Amino acid sequence: MIAEALIERSLNHLLRQSPGAAEALVRHAGRSVRFDLTLAQVDFRIADDGCFSEAAVDTPDAVIRPTPALVARLPFFGREALRQADYSGDPALLATLDRVFRQLDWDVEADLAPLVGDIAAHRLHALGRDALAGLAHAAAALGHNAGEYVVEEAELMARAIDVARFNHDVDALADDVARLDARLHLLEARPPEQDAQPRTA
Amino acid sequence: MDKTTHFGYKQVAESEKAAKVAEVFHSVAAQYDIMNDLMSAGLHRLWKRFAVAQAGLRPGMRVLDVAGGTADLTRLFLKEVGETGTVLLTDINFSMLREGRDRMLNEGRIPPTVQCDGERLPFPDNYFDCVSVAFGLRNMTHKDQALAEMNRVLKPGGRLLVLEFSKVWKPLEPAYDLYSFKLLPLMGKLVAKDADSYQYLAESIRMHPGQEELKTMMEAAGFAKVSYHNLTAGVVALHKGFKV
Repeated sequence: MIAEALIERSLNHLLRQSPGAAEALVRHAGRSVRFDLTLAQVDFRIADDGCFSEAAVDTPDAVIRPTPALVARLPFFGREALRQADYSGDPALLATLDRVFRQLDWDVEADLAPLVGDIAAHRLHALGRDALAGLAHAAAALGHNAGEYVVEEAELMARAIDVARFNHDVDALADDVARLDARLHLLEARPPEQDAQPRTA
Repeated sequence: MDKTTHFGYKQVAESEKAAKVAEVFHSVAAQYDIMNDLMSAGLHRLWKRFAVAQAGLRPGMRVLDVAGGTADLTRLFLKEVGETGTVLLTDINFSMLREGRDRMLNEGRIPPTVQCDGERLPFPDNYFDCVSVAFGLRNMTHKDQALAEMNRVLKPGGRLLVLEFSKVWKPLEPAYDLYSFKLLPLMGKLVAKDADSYQYLAESIRMHPGQEELKTMMEAAGFAKVSYHNLTAGVVALHKGFKV
């Protein structure tokens, strides 16, 4: 009950904020649209004023299924992410819905202004927009770097086990060198006459 | 012989119930809002806002507030439908309706106000986009008839909202009973100078159909896609249904 009301309210709010959006839907008044959210299905009928009105629908004229890719991309790519949804049903209605959804534009500043005042709303909106742009940029850079690493650098990087083996070899070599050094010192310290005597078995 | 019905825990003749309920509301009308705030610790305001949020109203829509009493919902509906919309405030009880109407007048608004019986609505078929009844259905003698009337006056696709006391979550029942049968009448006695009316309130809540039962009644009255949402652990439930 809460999800339906929330979706209905949000969609209609966006329709009213986007010039021409509701008007485009008026010619489909009476037709039904189902949002298939996997766990729940929310049915709407397009009202005479072009807004969505929750309704009891058996067979919807159009079905829209948001995909995980849409949900992941929506905060960063906005309307462009809507390409990721699955659409099925009446082509004419779907074409209008697709066009309308692409033209939906949330005027955040206008919604914030009555709550915090015009100036604060403008600044909050700018702050939020910059933060989202920064996040999108960071995500894109991270993706780019990760891709570059996987494609180009992964083979060049030493694995932990190789590094451990190398360290072990270096330690062994250092020990050998130390032993050799000690032996040389010992040999150099012997008296010369002892060296002249022949060895016996 | 006249059929009987319940008036709280008492059995009375059907023809007498409306008059007895009227007596209760004549008695409490002046203190109704204060008592609501006191009894629910202000929660009734949130319940009503939640109900209005589920109405899906848009500017220009036509709303009927049945048993609207002191106009709490009417005032919220008016904000949603704007200047181009209409909200009709109705109640069977003149004292309650007068409180609501005067309150609206004091706020500089003059909504159409009609004294009428929820079981015989004086409105044409397929007329309203939304009909609401908040804390009123419980007091009606023939609830099925009232629901059928609300269905009749709704436009196809229109929605009915029933906000009403319901069956509380089982573990909370002992505490809720203690509150309802001990504290409520005491508050009624101290504030509204009328303990009996608040004793009736507690009893009528217990006699009112539970969530599932009311849902079935709404479906029987012709509503589709009926759903309900419990508020405050089922102390109150909001039922929503659509006319098809």
